[in-house]
Amino acid sequence: MNFDFSDEQQLLQQSLERFVSENYDLATRKKLADSPQGYSDDNWSTMADLGWLALPFDETDGGFGGNQIDTMIVMEQFGRGLVVEPYFANIVLGGGMLKRSSNQALRTNLLPGIITGDVQLTLAHAEEQARFDLDDVVTTAREDGEHHVLNGKKSMAPNAATATHVIVSARTGGGQQDKTGIALFLIDADDLDGNHFPTVDGGRASEISLDNVRVPSDRMIGDYELLAMTAQDAVLALSAEALGCMEVLYKSTVDYTQERVQFDQPLSDFQVVQHRMVDMFMEYEQCKSLLYRATLEAVQGAPTAARTSHALKHLVGKSASFIGENAVQLHGGMGMTEELAIGHYFKRLLVIESQFGNTDYHLAQFAA
Amino acid sequence: MEIELNNDDLEFRHEVRDFLKENAAKPGADYSQWRMDYFENAAAKGGWDVPKWPVEFGGPGWSPTQHYIWEQETVTASLPWDMPFGIGMLAPILMNYGSKEQIDRFLPDIRERKVNWCQGYSEPGAGSDLASLKTKAVLSDDGTHYTVTGTKVWTTMAHMADWMFCLTRTDDTGIKQEGITFLLIPMKQDGIEVKPIITLGGAHSVNMVHITDVKVPIENRIGEEGKGWTYAKGLLQHERTGLAGISRSIVALESLKRQAQSVSRGNGTLMDDPAFKSKVAELEIDLLAVEFTELRSLAAAASGDDPGPESSILKLKGTEIQQRIQKLTVEAGGIYSAAWGVPVGHKFARSGMQGYLGGRANTIYGGASEVQKDVIAKNVLGLKRS
Repeated sequence: MNFDFSDEQQLLQQSLERFVSENYDLATRKKLADSPQGYSDDNWSTMADLGWLALPFDETDGGFGGNQIDTMIVMEQFGRGLVVEPYFANIVLGGGMLKRSSNQALRTNLLPGIITGDVQLTLAHAEEQARFDLDDVVTTAREDGEHHVLNGKKSMAPNAATATHVIVSARTGGGQQDKTGIALFLIDADDLDGNHFPTVDGGRASEISLDNVRVPSDRMIGDYELLAMTAQDAVLALSAEALGCMEVLYKSTVDYTQERVQFDQPLSDFQVVQHRMVDMFMEYEQCKSLLYRATLEAVQGAPTAARTSHALKHLVGKSASFIGENAVQLHGGMGMTEELAIGHYFKRLLVIESQFGNTDYHLAQFAA
Repeated sequence: MEIELNNDDLEFRHEVRDFLKENAAKPGADYSQWRMDYFENAAAKGGWDVPKWPVEFGGPGWSPTQHYIWEQETVTASLPWDMPFGIGMLAPILMNYGSKEQIDRFLPDIRERKVNWCQGYSEPGAGSDLASLKTKAVLSDDGTHYTVTGTKVWTTMAHMADWMFCLTRTDDTGIKQEGITFLLIPMKQDGIEVKPIITLGGAHSVNMVHITDVKVPIENRIGEEGKGWTYAKGLLQHERTGLAGISRSIVALESLKRQAQSVSRGNGTLMDDPAFKSKVAELEIDLLAVEFTELRSLAAAASGDDPGPESSILKLKGTEIQQRIQKLTVEAGGIYSAAWGVPVGHKFARSGMQGYLGGRANTIYGGASEVQKDVIAKNVLGLKRS
């Protein structure tokens, strides 16, 4: 039994911590989030230079052969820093799909650019009628000679405005909620119409319309299985990011209540406040345990891995909400301001809750 | 025990409905003209522009049941905007503790919505523990004016206000509740600096107000020096029960149900989702109970009794329910709740997120929930703090 990180993983964690502490004070982060692009090109290059964009890819593809544990280390630190660069969209979603894709030609073609940060990917799978169901797809892909012609609407694709390519799920056959007949296409962003906008946490997302978009059929990268595997990795990565946010929130609350004096004593002297913070701490630790469990099961390819990832997203959603709301509450009026970091972590957690299935959705999946 | 409305009450409800219908904004009408007309017509009904004011100051003299009917009927009507600070907060203090001159000077403008007021209570070091406030007011040697210096925070609409009613410290030698003095200060003058505070929902409604060497004439002091806490305290209690917003929550829950029915999920809608449905049902059950808690509290007031222990839980339960509805609205919005400032996907998602974020303040202002529970433990259950 051993829950320690390897030497390489410890070095990775230290280098991430250094990056966050040197580049991500709240003022800088706010400036980035408010900028037109929403993140920094310099930071993105730094991430490429440090090899973080190459982490999960096979060594034969020019990567470092990392696994979900490495991604967890990255995302947890990004959560602690509220990092806005599109690592999740590119490396976890887009990169994760290419990495598992049987389309060898596309992988060889695109991965080098992803690793240098010049090629940017994202995934546009969500549709309004589907809510959180990955297999509910009405976007169609009709075969037409060497091409497929796509029609439909995709929602809330992260960082699509800066993506060079967008991966889209579409139906080549089957009924609206069938797992069969779903195909994933990699489309040049120039061929797509996007409505781009900010998200409440300072991120970026897009609504994408597909109006008779012709895609060469060799741009097909996989089927529903690939989408489901990627979604499971997405849950692990988002949960790791949430864990980083929750850690900052509960610790800042413990610090703040010791400084804030009301009724002639620090707030932290009130037992009701102490017990609340103990609960926040316990929720955080439980999430950490389940994150480790789900991540290790995924690395081992355990048959329970998918189910445990549902358990994880459910617990993280519940705990994030408890920790976030109480961090704001115990900071009082100050917790309500844009000036303090608290609210920004709280908002990031709210968005994570809505990504790749919310708390109720994953409970239902777990219980199914 | 009976809860039926009697014939007079039914007739009153009819009259209210007619009035609200006649005075609803006409499409395309000029907003501020309509607003002025509305309050004028309400005044002509005999104090309907100031429902809570006592008869001797021009209020309608309604029974608690009539007040309840008014609240129920107005919650779904779109009335013109109105600020509580003059009408609901300062006016009762003026009526109870102001001099004849002060009442004549300030009350008519408050009633006619000509002057906007803000409340200068909280300070950076005095939130839930309001009595520890430090804004200093020093009386001049000739006794003609105070010189006020200090900082107020969370001052709602200070950037729109003409005047502030302000708690200041005139004595810091005794216990902290004594030595607080209630002053009225014009906002548009040198020495008053209003700085916006942007809150989570991105809105600007609260401010930081720096007051530097501002001279306030003695005529602007309410009541006696050092008695300001007593004047403000009675009102704070009143403010707290007014924050429960039960009727509003009943309406909000109904609209949440409609929103959830507009969200498709599988082959049905979100209202077919057992987990979501039970959360809505739980809220509905709590509302059925808390609505009667409010009625019990109203009935006690009607019979002239002190508000009973049931009234103490209204703010706590009421705000908790508000937040749960707001949270479910964000849940209903699903992925679209994350979109910021643009209408994307479900129509209600945009305001849902703003409501949820802003609503986090509901359990903080007017006495944080933790402090409210302390008050109930002490005053209702008779417990001592260890």
